[in-house]
Amino acid sequence: MGFDFNSLLAFIIFGVTIGVVYGIVALGISLIYSGLDIVHFAHGEMYMFGAFFGLVLAHNVGVPYPVALIGAMILTAILGMAVERVFYRRLTRAGGGYTVAGMGMIICGFGMSVALVNAAYFFFGAEAEPFRANLDYIPRLTFPGDINVPESYVLTAIISVLLMTGLHYFLRHTKTGLAVRAVAHNKDIAYLMGINVPLMISLIFGLACGLAAAAGVLIGPMQSVQVEMGYLMLMKAFAAAVVGGFGSLPGAILGGIMVGIFENLGAAYISASHKDIYAFLLLILVLMFRPSGLFGVEAKVKA
Amino acid sequence: MVFLSRIADLIDALASRHRLLPWLIAYLMLLPLPFIMSTFFNSYLIDLANRSCLFILLAVGLNIVKGFCGQVTVGHIGLYAIGAVTSAVLSLEPGGFGGALGFGLPVWVSIPIAVLVTAFAGLIVGLPSVRLEGAYLALATLGLGESVRIFIAVTPALGSSTGLMMIPAPSIGSFVFDSFTSYYYLVMTAALVGIYFSFSILRSATGRAFQAIREDTIAASVNGINVIKYKLLAFVLSAIYAGLAGALFAHMPPGYLHHNNFTVIEMVTLLLMVVLGGIGNVWGGVIGAIVVTIAYDQTKDLVVYFMDRPIVIQPLVFGLSMVLLVLFMPRGIGGWFEGVLRNRRFIKRSEEKLGGTARNS
Amino acid sequence: MKLMNKVFAGLVATGVGLAATAAFAGDIRVGITMRMVSENGQAYGQMVMDEIKAINESGGINGNMIKATLMNDECKSDKGVANANKLIFQENIHLLIGSTCSSVSLPIVDVTAKAGVPQMIPHSTNSKITQKGSEWVFRIPVSGRYYGGVNAKYVGENIGTKIAYICAADAASVGDCANMEKQMRARFGVDPAYRADVQEKEVDFRSHMQKIKSMNVDGILVAALAETMARALIQSYEAGISEDVRRIGSSSASNAPVPKIAGDAAKGVFFTAAYAAADNRPIAKLFNEMTRKRYGIHAPDHDFSQAYDLVRIMEIALNNADLKLEQWSLANDRTAIRDAIASVEGYEGLASGPISFCAAPTPQCRDGNRTAVLIGYTKGGENFETEVLARVTMEPDFGLE
Repeated sequence: MGFDFNSLLAFIIFGVTIGVVYGIVALGISLIYSGLDIVHFAHGEMYMFGAFFGLVLAHNVGVPYPVALIGAMILTAILGMAVERVFYRRLTRAGGGYTVAGMGMIICGFGMSVALVNAAYFFFGAEAEPFRANLDYIPRLTFPGDINVPESYVLTAIISVLLMTGLHYFLRHTKTGLAVRAVAHNKDIAYLMGINVPLMISLIFGLACGLAAAAGVLIGPMQSVQVEMGYLMLMKAFAAAVVGGFGSLPGAILGGIMVGIFENLGAAYISASHKDIYAFLLLILVLMFRPSGLFGVEAKVKA
Repeated sequence: MVFLSRIADLIDALASRHRLLPWLIAYLMLLPLPFIMSTFFNSYLIDLANRSCLFILLAVGLNIVKGFCGQVTVGHIGLYAIGAVTSAVLSLEPGGFGGALGFGLPVWVSIPIAVLVTAFAGLIVGLPSVRLEGAYLALATLGLGESVRIFIAVTPALGSSTGLMMIPAPSIGSFVFDSFTSYYYLVMTAALVGIYFSFSILRSATGRAFQAIREDTIAASVNGINVIKYKLLAFVLSAIYAGLAGALFAHMPPGYLHHNNFTVIEMVTLLLMVVLGGIGNVWGGVIGAIVVTIAYDQTKDLVVYFMDRPIVIQPLVFGLSMVLLVLFMPRGIGGWFEGVLRNRRFIKRSEEKLGGTARNS
Repeated sequence: MKLMNKVFAGLVATGVGLAATAAFAGDIRVGITMRMVSENGQAYGQMVMDEIKAINESGGINGNMIKATLMNDECKSDKGVANANKLIFQENIHLLIGSTCSSVSLPIVDVTAKAGVPQMIPHSTNSKITQKGSEWVFRIPVSGRYYGGVNAKYVGENIGTKIAYICAADAASVGDCANMEKQMRARFGVDPAYRADVQEKEVDFRSHMQKIKSMNVDGILVAALAETMARALIQSYEAGISEDVRRIGSSSASNAPVPKIAGDAAKGVFFTAAYAAADNRPIAKLFNEMTRKRYGIHAPDHDFSQAYDLVRIMEIALNNADLKLEQWSLANDRTAIRDAIASVEGYEGLASGPISFCAAPTPQCRDGNRTAVLIGYTKGGENFETEVLARVTMEPDFGLE
């Protein structure tokens, strides 16, 4: 029996197109971790709020899709910075989010996630909403073997590359980016050097939440927008961040792609009903045998 | 406050007669509770008490690995699920109603087996803790816990989405434990025994080893403590509690299990109980479990009218209270009590040393 | 410390007991447990409360007011059972309405059977609910075992027998897939051409669609909850599967998010449900008008119609029952209400056919609604439109082993 390469190509392409979305969210998670030593368990809700902000901007306010994307990123960044300033700042004052038995930030993150989801129910309702976007200017691709890649997926891939290069440029080649990296490396020394550390922390958080929002707005036309969308994305994004390695930005995107391909192959060749387990499995295996991931810096152990 | 220390003195006096005396008296005092409840109030409160006892078992168990030993685990609900589903599957009749697997074992056999299976699962959940700490361990355990739930959700033999139904209640001869009151005696006994053993662990050499690991892993290993062995032991012990709680949950009337009894929301609720009660404090788990169960029950129908639509605000309040608790009261109620008691004892001892000056309070 | 704990618990218990509403003789107490936070959950819970309020305002039941308590069970069985226990043992209700999710209704049937409280089910389709032999349960919606037969007959005769199945892992869809498969095998002797069991909230069906595309099937059955189904439909078109391949939905296709999210992809999709907004009868048109005005619903689905029929049947039964409504008559009143519901025969309301119950604790007696409607979407999007393709009333025995 000849091996069906055509199907395999299809599954890989599908994995890549969904994987880049995981990667964008993972970028934010990685940024928060390397900058603030926090694993942010409420990040999925930022993704969700971003999607809803984009939806409201595009449908109710009526701006074109690209404007809605940028608008949602800004609004979610503000939301994230507010949450960080009001709630998380008190915990991280001790540095690294360490409180009773090292779990304060984790528990706070879970609580914040529940609170945000229910706040969203309040504002947006529980119904799933369609996100119609006019993407006629984006080409749709067809790969050999009759594999269709609709416009929304192509746009996602383009935007994710743009975001990653933009972030990379910002961090490596601008003064503010340098300040961000200094704060990530050592807050006390950065402070002594005259850098406004609290401002940088807010900036890092805002950037990360903006990235999550972008992922949400991009996913909207692909899937629809619903208050519960955050949780599952969070787990896949964690897997992506772990596989790529916390602290490595290209690692986040590549990790996302790997998770996407892995779960699609697993669903196709092993069992589709266990699809989410494959992402968890990859997460656990990488954590057990190579915690620093593929490209990451040395695994930190603070909470 | 004087009242509290007098009670503490009374209990110490009793304990000096026989170690178990305060426990026996407590047990005797709890025995007539169902009758008091159904006579003066209503029998629903017994059901509430039963569920509190299950959560007490869970919270006290979680406290062993999280509070005593300091290992971050967010997958505890998966162990609860394993205990429940194992005992259910073992005790269901074969060719069951829902197409689920069944072995027809008596409940008194299936519960211990379920506890053993869960203990073994606890060992597996604990393996990541050998290499990981903090948030990494949280992620790994979360992944494991969720994988357990998803596996149950897609496996018809384990109930899948229709759930496991008509799980038999425990029975002795012709007496079946299928009423609130009869089940109360089962779970209350289990909870009390669980609390007692938690104290024993805390005061033993094992407990000291756990706390040493929590404070500083490297110093502990330098002092000759086998860190890996004790970490795994902590997980296994807490898994035993979770397995017992799960099995008792499965057989509680009406005997139904579904995979969405074991989601992350339930895990977060459990975390709330432990944090509210006080991490690291045995009574913390008990207080947290009782307070959260009762609070949840009383606020269930709390609705806020927003534009003529009734909105249930309880989950929002629940999430916010978790955040605020961690920020402002990280040691929980139990921690606060402990601080107060410690102050009292310190004052008392210093007065004894200095020779009885006027007490102030 | 330990004593403090017990004192504390005792104080709380006292508070709880005092807070518990005393049973007020003279009121008919109805407890409702349903999933409040969902697409329509809030709205039709609201509708049930509004209708009960309307009954009270026009004089109640023979002068007695109905006191209704609404509780959220979040579609979780442990919370649903806790609600049922609280309503039955603390609030001392005469009648329980619940629940929306099959996984919650299933255990509650055991609770009401043991406690002797009549239970009316507003919206659960899992066929096992009425197969437990409980004398106290009455199902208003159409049981899942009927849907499979109607679907299969229409599909086999009009579409073809080579069907691909996409089955999500939620309780309703698993049942729908199983019923359809059974009926297709019984009527036409065929097995599914392709079967994919996906997760409950699956978002990515592309790999399945790719495989199906190369198989030349006559139709694709998508059994999933509303937004999951919508995604599958959209992705079936994105993958390039042509319009000639008919998309078939399970009964959740009747929920509004399906055409709203799927948009054009919903056009041509057909499914079986218990009520069609495109129904021509005057009562249906009035109902559509009412839900649009009161709750902003563009076109009500069978969740709404079944909840409405439930309240009407409840009203009839309560009026016919011989109720004393004293402290001591609780058990008698519950039995009287049960018998009154059991004697409802030929109720004609929003349901597409008559609803009849009888006293025996069998599914034939307790699945009162046996008429399934075959509905197709003629237009998708926010202002979706439907048409009624067929209306079939099944035999009471249909679909039982």
